[in-house]
Amino acid sequence: METEKEGFVPKHYSILSDILFFADYFKREEPMVLVLSALEILLKSVTPLIGIWLPKLTIDLVEQGVTVTRAAAVLGGFVLVMIIVNGTGQTVQGGKYNLYNQQRITVMGKLFLKSLRIRYADVESSEMKKIYVKAQGSVNGGDWSAMSKTVSGTVDLLVNIISFALYSTLLGFLNIWVLAVLIGLSLINYALSLRHIRKQEAYREEDAATWKHFNSVSNAMGNPMGAKDVRIFGMKHWLLQLREIVLGERAAVQKKIQRTAAFYFGIGLLLSAVRDLGAYAWLLYQASNGRLRAGDFVLYFGAITGFSVFVNGVMNAIADLRQAANGTDYLRAYLELPEEDRISGNRHVEELARLISIEFRDVSFSYGHRQDVQDEEQGHGEDITEGKQVFSHLNLTIHAGEKIALVGINGAGKTTLVKLLCGMYDPDEGQILINGIDRNEFPREELYELFSVVFQETMILPFTVGENLSMDRIERIDEERAWECLDKAELGDFFREQNIDLHRYMTRTLMKDGLELSGGQKQRFLLARALYKDSPILILDEPTAALDPIAESQVYDSYRQYTEGKTAVFISHRLASTRFSDRILLLDDGRIVEMGTHEELMHRGGAYAEMFELQSSYYSKDSEIQEI
Amino acid sequence: MSKLPLREHIRNIKKMFVLINGMDRRFLQGKIYVALSDAVVPYTELLLSAYVLDGISEGKSFQDMMRIVAVSVAAILLFRCLSDILNRSMIVRADRIWYLYECITQTKMLDMDYSRIDSPEIKDLKEKIRKDNNWGAGISTVFWQFSGLAYRFLMLVIALVLAMPVIGHIIRAGRYETLAVFLIMSALVALFHRFLLHFRKKSMNYMFSSLKEEEKEEQADFCWPFANGDGFDYRYGKDIRIYGSYDLMKRWTTDVLKNRKFRSRLLNGIVGDAGEMGFSAGNNSILTGAAYLIVVIVALGGVITVGSVIQLAGALNHLFTSVYALIYHASELALASRKQLSTLELLELEDEMYKGRLPMEKRSDNQYQIEFKNVSFRYPGREDWALKDLSLKLTIGEKLAIVGMNGSGKTTMIKLLCRLYDPQEGEILLNGVDIRKFKQADYLRLFSVVFQDYVLFPFQLGENVAVDREYEEQVVRTCLMDADFGERLTEMEDGVHTYLYKDYDDSGVEVSGGEAQKIAIARAIYKDAPFILLDEPTAALDPKAEYEIYTNFDKIAGDKTAIYISHRLSSCRFCEKIAVFHEGRLIQMGSHEELVKDKDGKYYEMWSAQAQYYREKGFDIEGAV
Repeated sequence: METEKEGFVPKHYSILSDILFFADYFKREEPMVLVLSALEILLKSVTPLIGIWLPKLTIDLVEQGVTVTRAAAVLGGFVLVMIIVNGTGQTVQGGKYNLYNQQRITVMGKLFLKSLRIRYADVESSEMKKIYVKAQGSVNGGDWSAMSKTVSGTVDLLVNIISFALYSTLLGFLNIWVLAVLIGLSLINYALSLRHIRKQEAYREEDAATWKHFNSVSNAMGNPMGAKDVRIFGMKHWLLQLREIVLGERAAVQKKIQRTAAFYFGIGLLLSAVRDLGAYAWLLYQASNGRLRAGDFVLYFGAITGFSVFVNGVMNAIADLRQAANGTDYLRAYLELPEEDRISGNRHVEELARLISIEFRDVSFSYGHRQDVQDEEQGHGEDITEGKQVFSHLNLTIHAGEKIALVGINGAGKTTLVKLLCGMYDPDEGQILINGIDRNEFPREELYELFSVVFQETMILPFTVGENLSMDRIERIDEERAWECLDKAELGDFFREQNIDLHRYMTRTLMKDGLELSGGQKQRFLLARALYKDSPILILDEPTAALDPIAESQVYDSYRQYTEGKTAVFISHRLASTRFSDRILLLDDGRIVEMGTHEELMHRGGAYAEMFELQSSYYSKDSEIQEI
Repeated sequence: MSKLPLREHIRNIKKMFVLINGMDRRFLQGKIYVALSDAVVPYTELLLSAYVLDGISEGKSFQDMMRIVAVSVAAILLFRCLSDILNRSMIVRADRIWYLYECITQTKMLDMDYSRIDSPEIKDLKEKIRKDNNWGAGISTVFWQFSGLAYRFLMLVIALVLAMPVIGHIIRAGRYETLAVFLIMSALVALFHRFLLHFRKKSMNYMFSSLKEEEKEEQADFCWPFANGDGFDYRYGKDIRIYGSYDLMKRWTTDVLKNRKFRSRLLNGIVGDAGEMGFSAGNNSILTGAAYLIVVIVALGGVITVGSVIQLAGALNHLFTSVYALIYHASELALASRKQLSTLELLELEDEMYKGRLPMEKRSDNQYQIEFKNVSFRYPGREDWALKDLSLKLTIGEKLAIVGMNGSGKTTMIKLLCRLYDPQEGEILLNGVDIRKFKQADYLRLFSVVFQDYVLFPFQLGENVAVDREYEEQVVRTCLMDADFGERLTEMEDGVHTYLYKDYDDSGVEVSGGEAQKIAIARAIYKDAPFILLDEPTAALDPKAEYEIYTNFDKIAGDKTAIYISHRLSSCRFCEKIAVFHEGRLIQMGSHEELVKDKDGKYYEMWSAQAQYYREKGFDIEGAV
């Protein structure tokens, strides 16, 4: 993925290419949309012609003085055609509309799934997040979404072009010069509309900015997390003020848009008045010379005045398609991002021994400009500024089967190190070796199999207990192992007491009686998830943060059991965790400043010893408290 | 169209009109004017065509006819321009209404009972609102249908005026064949209508039916919510990769859409909707055909000019189609209003909490005394007590620490104190008066709180501190400095006018977790309330940082009454008085020294759980107790 400092600009595709892109999509996913669209184009193109033919037919019948039965038969037949064309046309349109709208949801899902397949570092970067949001916007937003506009715009474009051709043919029979004048007028109309579209497109950015403003104010008002603050600090007044400001901005932009539109529309009306006057004059002149019958007069007048409808129709369709093109560029750019499995070699993890060692060899890593880690861990985790180099030529070996404690204050780089370790980030320089083999030689998906990780975010999805535990479809769960792991994480008894089985849904999103766990229970559940996976490497990132002291000490007590026969890394800023680890790594500002066993480090009397004494002092001598 | 009685529909529509009028008094009125100028145009055109056709057959002079044509074309131009300008000013108004309405549930969140915001009842209602607005364009649909209704009504009236002569003519002449045509056409329309209703019911079922619990499993797809970050955080991507769960995610997103049951439900709805549209269009064609057929029959039998044929056919066509369209727009308006019922329900939700009227006297001496008296509380929809029989007096100027395990009721106590909830039993007294009796806004002025999950908004830094658009910059700066944010503030080019985050403004800056906390603290300082409450800052902070925040905050709190909450015993060690909560009860109270002596007590248990890992040769822990 190439990302420039100036920001990502997606490849620009032509409107035709976008149409073909969606056509190809529908061909694969819902071919009926294409069939119905074709039918719609066919039927809708002849509908206007039928509309202007009916008065002519009526007048002709009256003038010819046919019998009532004959008139009824002719008109009846004609109406039947009308019913079929209009009725089928609308049915087809309705079916197509609903079908492609359903596909918008599918595309939304495909985008989401794609976000699970690209490099995680890209998912996290602020640049990519923007692209993702814009790509979503191309399918989200109902009839205004790029996908909807492309489909409806394409159909409209073709319908209007065909109708234009049909009317031209009709008028060509009347008089070639009249047709020439009309086409001339249409060209003026076309040029005007094009100017108008460009003008309106210039407002779009302003429009988007006010939309952004509106959304942030609306989200601020509706954020349930902030509801307490809103009440205690009496923020209602302030937020409503902001809402008013945004609405004022909106109105200003909307006025500009409407004024411009009124100007161009006014010119258009003036042109059509001139055209109507001309049409009347010419047709009346012909008629008063006896060269035109009443029925034909009506027909041609309808045709002349209807002409501009198609030009406007074509222009509107083009405006829609142009507008859609921008969103579609982002959609296509996101869907075309390389998937992370391409970063893969030909080796397989089965070759590896059960016990895994990891080596960082001369690893450097920095967050690019695009990386946006400030909000990591809900804004309270590592404080990393953009572009900051986190690691510079880091060397580190975790031996097979070793239990490592990674400690350090906030912002030392602990979480970044974990992400590098388990393959979420790739080093800028240097290598990471798994049992001595460069990890890039393994397919990334296989590499992930080596790790069980409990991250800081407590991910509980609105699926079943079993699915959340095995992170796989419920059909494939090993029930026995599931319960075993729940027991190990000391959740099993609670589940049994509450009669919770593996098929029970979690969270209330899907099911009203969904299972809601407390913060501490969630962390235990995540632990059970990691145990269920039973990978050779276990990484726990602050797994006890939400636990109270007693629960925390229970986790510590079981830690040996969890990590038996595994390589393990325990990240914590509570130094207590170091007591059951083989080796302690003290991380400070991206460097490993101290390394060794607890006793060694205490003996050395360095930064670790200092931190430990600071933390333990509270539990030892009260006299020291005041000195801190 | 559906089972609701007509009266209900009218009531719903009326409610919508009242709501819209409340947001913009002149909007619906303006829409009627637009409809009027729109309706005049086609009839002027029709009359002009009729005049011209008659003129041709009567052999009127070209110049005479052109004079009338010129005037008429000019009049039509005028009407159209007028209508366009008027319409555009209505678009600007509609835009404002649309935006107001778009954030109407959010606006409601600002002042509804806090206790209900997270309640299952409101969650369900919000979900219903989301579903109801998934189809169509929300309140815009109401505008459109209203415009359509007004336009068609005016068209109908004008058509009646123009068609009157023909209808009179038919009746006088006793023309039975015309009557027959009329009847046949009506029968056809009625027949079509039956089909229409059949399809309408189908699509209605699809739109309004909510899934049964047992169907949810098979048919719930998370494409939309997950992609929009509802229930899925992008950070979860790490877990999905590590646990190889792509397939599971696919099962709950795109796979669901291919599931047979889902498809058949979808197709059923689509057939209903499309069928309805088709029959509606077919119906219109029949009506148009009927109009022309009637006129032809009339014209063939009697002396009637070509112009009249066009005029009458046009009028009848407008008449028939308008009647039909009127019904259509009315039912669509009813439908669109019905879809907004869920929103209205939320808006009309009355507060359940008793809101007192007693004004709070402002005391310059800050002599506010709070007492909890046998307070018990459980969260709505829960059976277990979150707090049970709590009695506690907050001495003025005292610093109290509350410690306890997760779920022991620490935060609940704060929420009750701030009247976010009312206790089911017992009472909370302020200077001896039940806090429910005070005016809510007055009462809340007493508290500055930094919640565990405090929120900063993506607007200007200074506004976030002052929670207002206007504020004294110098005061805000001082508060930020007191909160130890001064260093970062000096780095900011726009100072207190800097936007936080990039949600609102691209020039916004990111702040780290620690910095955000300092801003939240500055906000609490700025409020300068007699009570200061600090609920444990997020657990992701290291103990040292947390301790620093607490002590710094304590300095700022000065002689105010303060409560500090944590489950880390070490954080609150500077407090003279510590209250220990356990399973909703206050079980111990005293200084650290006192509490730690009680070896059967909870405090000792928690303390030693944390201490055991620091136990080391050379450290005589027991000796300290």
